[in-house]
Amino acid sequence: MKGKLDPSVRQALVEEGKNLKEGLIALEEDLVQLTDKLQLEAQSIPNTTHPDVPVGGEESSVLRKEVGSQRSFNFAIKDHLQLGKELDLFDFDAAAEVSGSKFYYLKNEAVLLEMALVNWAISEVSKKGFTPLITPEIVRSSVVEKCGFQPRAKNTQVYSIEDSDQCLIGTAEIPVGGIHMDSILAESALPLKYVAYSHCFRTEAGAAGAATRGLYRVHQFSKVEMFIFCRPEESGKWHEELITIEEDLYASLGLHFKTLDMATGDLGAPAYRKFDIEAWMPGLERYGEISSASNCTDYQSRRLGIRYRPSPSEPPSTSTKKGKGAASGPTQFVHTLNATAVAVPRLIVCILENFQQGDGSIVVPEPLRPYMGGLELLSPKFK
Amino acid sequence: MLTCGRFISSSAATSTASFFPFRTLTRSLVRRPAPHLLSSASAAAATAVELDTNDGSAGGGAGVVRPQWKAAIDFKWIRDNRDAVADNIRTRNSTANLDLVFELYDQYLTLQKEVERLRAERNAVANKMKGKLDPSVRQALVEEGKNLKEGLIALEEDLVQLTDKLQLEAQSIPNTTHPDVPVGGEESSVLRKEVGSQRSFNFAIKDHLQLGKELDLFDFDAAAEVSGSKFYYLKNEAVLLEMALVNWAISEVSKKGFTPLITPEIVRSSVVEKCGFQPRAKNTQVYSIEDSDQCLIGTAEIPVGGIHMDSILAESALPLKYVAYSHCFRTEAGAAGAATRGLYRVHQFSKVEMFIFCRPEESGKWHEELITIEEDLYASLGLHFKTLDMATGDLGAPAYRKFDIEAWMPGLERYGEISSASNCTDYQSRRLGIRYRPSPSEPPSTSTKKGKGAASGPTQFVHTLNATAVAVPRLIVCILENFQQGDGSIVVPEPLRPYMGGLELLSPKFK
Repeated sequence: MKGKLDPSVRQALVEEGKNLKEGLIALEEDLVQLTDKLQLEAQSIPNTTHPDVPVGGEESSVLRKEVGSQRSFNFAIKDHLQLGKELDLFDFDAAAEVSGSKFYYLKNEAVLLEMALVNWAISEVSKKGFTPLITPEIVRSSVVEKCGFQPRAKNTQVYSIEDSDQCLIGTAEIPVGGIHMDSILAESALPLKYVAYSHCFRTEAGAAGAATRGLYRVHQFSKVEMFIFCRPEESGKWHEELITIEEDLYASLGLHFKTLDMATGDLGAPAYRKFDIEAWMPGLERYGEISSASNCTDYQSRRLGIRYRPSPSEPPSTSTKKGKGAASGPTQFVHTLNATAVAVPRLIVCILENFQQGDGSIVVPEPLRPYMGGLELLSPKFK
Repeated sequence: MLTCGRFISSSAATSTASFFPFRTLTRSLVRRPAPHLLSSASAAAATAVELDTNDGSAGGGAGVVRPQWKAAIDFKWIRDNRDAVADNIRTRNSTANLDLVFELYDQYLTLQKEVERLRAERNAVANKMKGKLDPSVRQALVEEGKNLKEGLIALEEDLVQLTDKLQLEAQSIPNTTHPDVPVGGEESSVLRKEVGSQRSFNFAIKDHLQLGKELDLFDFDAAAEVSGSKFYYLKNEAVLLEMALVNWAISEVSKKGFTPLITPEIVRSSVVEKCGFQPRAKNTQVYSIEDSDQCLIGTAEIPVGGIHMDSILAESALPLKYVAYSHCFRTEAGAAGAATRGLYRVHQFSKVEMFIFCRPEESGKWHEELITIEEDLYASLGLHFKTLDMATGDLGAPAYRKFDIEAWMPGLERYGEISSASNCTDYQSRRLGIRYRPSPSEPPSTSTKKGKGAASGPTQFVHTLNATAVAVPRLIVCILENFQQGDGSIVVPEPLRPYMGGLELLSPKFK
């Protein structure tokens, strides 16, 4: 319509243009809706899986490593609830009144034990080059979703805040993953390694039965979490590093545990590969999960928008183009990994049940003693 | 004779229960002296007069939601001290409506009496029907009994609603006030103690935000994306500083006989209310959990107060002293402006709180003890601060007396509140239902009665006190701003060094 035209020709063109425009608007709306639907469906596709991961349900998980063995006791042992009662370490009854079931107060030496576990873990892991962090425990629900969790699902693990788009975190993985959201990192900055301390809140909706006794399954607990942002080629190596750090921590506490390579049915959408550690809990007569280390490759970073700019492979030549942009490649998504250093309640279960003595006292693991003012033994008090 | 006709006749109401027939009732009746109404908890000759709705009847009209709990209000005391209570409400700028309370209380007494009278008549009719009677006489009695019963049910429903309303109004009456508390607003608070003085710097000082940025100690920007404004990440040595402050405080305070506690941070909203907070108010400080009657705590005072709710403690167990560590969550709704910069006002923070349950005669002494512990803690950190006896306008409903400590923050150029110590006397315990049984004054004699019950007095409400040991973010502000050096490094206060692996200085890193 740019040239000089006959009025009737122009009019016809205007009509045609108008029809095209309306049709286009309608189609563009459809495209947006279709794109949203496509995006939603595609986002529910789980991460790819490492070729060595065993296929099947929980029972197909493969033993990678076993440390220690089940201690044999020459006296009748107690579970952590009874030990805690006799040593005045917890109060579940008062917490049930004040807050509801699966809440608890820690008292006396149990407070020192929690603080010691946290302090010790932060100290040990930061020595290995991890940056200590204390994180928000309230986050936007979108960040929760980007990490691969589902705050709005039926039986969700996530607590939501009323009149708000915010949620409580179930793990520091979420605020740590979010710390670099929508960013482009320099390759030279990688790997970024964090050790983060937070409280964690989980609804445990749908979890019932004997496996929820005492400290084993609770709504609120303290956790020190390790998180790594790295180049894709390195995530396998960092996964091995993380599981080794965990195994060293628990071995030094004197625990007996198994490291499992979790089977496909147990991975959870974000994980490319997941190693769980299950420790022996003699009072509960079971191995219980005390930590989990996942390599999420680019699943989370594609959602959180975390990229890095690869460094130029050769120094810039006499090219007239300014800046690094010309010689470096396009941005890539980082890989993310997360691993539990200490999840306090289950470690308290392990310590109480494994290190109990015939007289009802508990031997404090050596690495924790400096963090408890040198305390070596939790003894029954004459009250 | 249909005795129930007496109270219905003067109103337009028919035999169907109208909403408030008692209004007509009270106007037509002569006021009688108030009977002593005893709560079910203190059956012996108690000085407290509480409302008794244990009549087992219908719980209010259709669809009416009863309150989940009620405070043990001493109505007789309020009535005997009306002027003092009114004065107190005024000086505290409370919105409690005392006149309404009295009006409702009088209606309550009258209605209660009427209900008792009807019950007595109904019993009399029932007794009359026990013997051998003429069928027509029996029939008339049955009719009368039925009318009395219907009338009674209606009145009892009214009584429940009236009691709930009275209870609600009365619960908003603030605690009494210590006679030495200055009267007035914030500016009337009185200085009790001053420790140290404002340090003079021979270089241009920075505020904690700038120091934190240069030392890579916080990240507010990332937190704003992930969580929203007034959230933050602590990084590097700031993490060690927080852990050190918490560890040190728990250690120091437990040496003084306080039992360490780590508490739930999610609690039932009724417990929040019983401590004197208002989760449902507009601009509430309290975060609520969706699809639940639970809230996030703003202070460990709440779960610690709740640990002994609905209990009777032995006198020998008192005082019970706790030092509790928790995270605290506050909406800070309605707080805006420059006073919210950086770590000064945040939605989430760590706090170590002291809490005492004691005998009433001792709460004054424990209040002094608590403020002394706080002053010693902050003096040992090397802070300059002022302890204030807060004025009536600044007390908050639960506090009988409140001491605040404000520390000098040179970067923010202001004194900022770093702790608060309140004596709540029996305000919280009347709501949480925490009593103690006084020990017998003499050992049991050769009396044949078993147990302690016979010689000990009726149960009494304990007094509760709470005081901040450390509230981490504002102490970080104080430490960074006060102990900064010309080269941008920060001197770590001596008491914290053992908890930071001996670290003496936070130094700028070459990054």
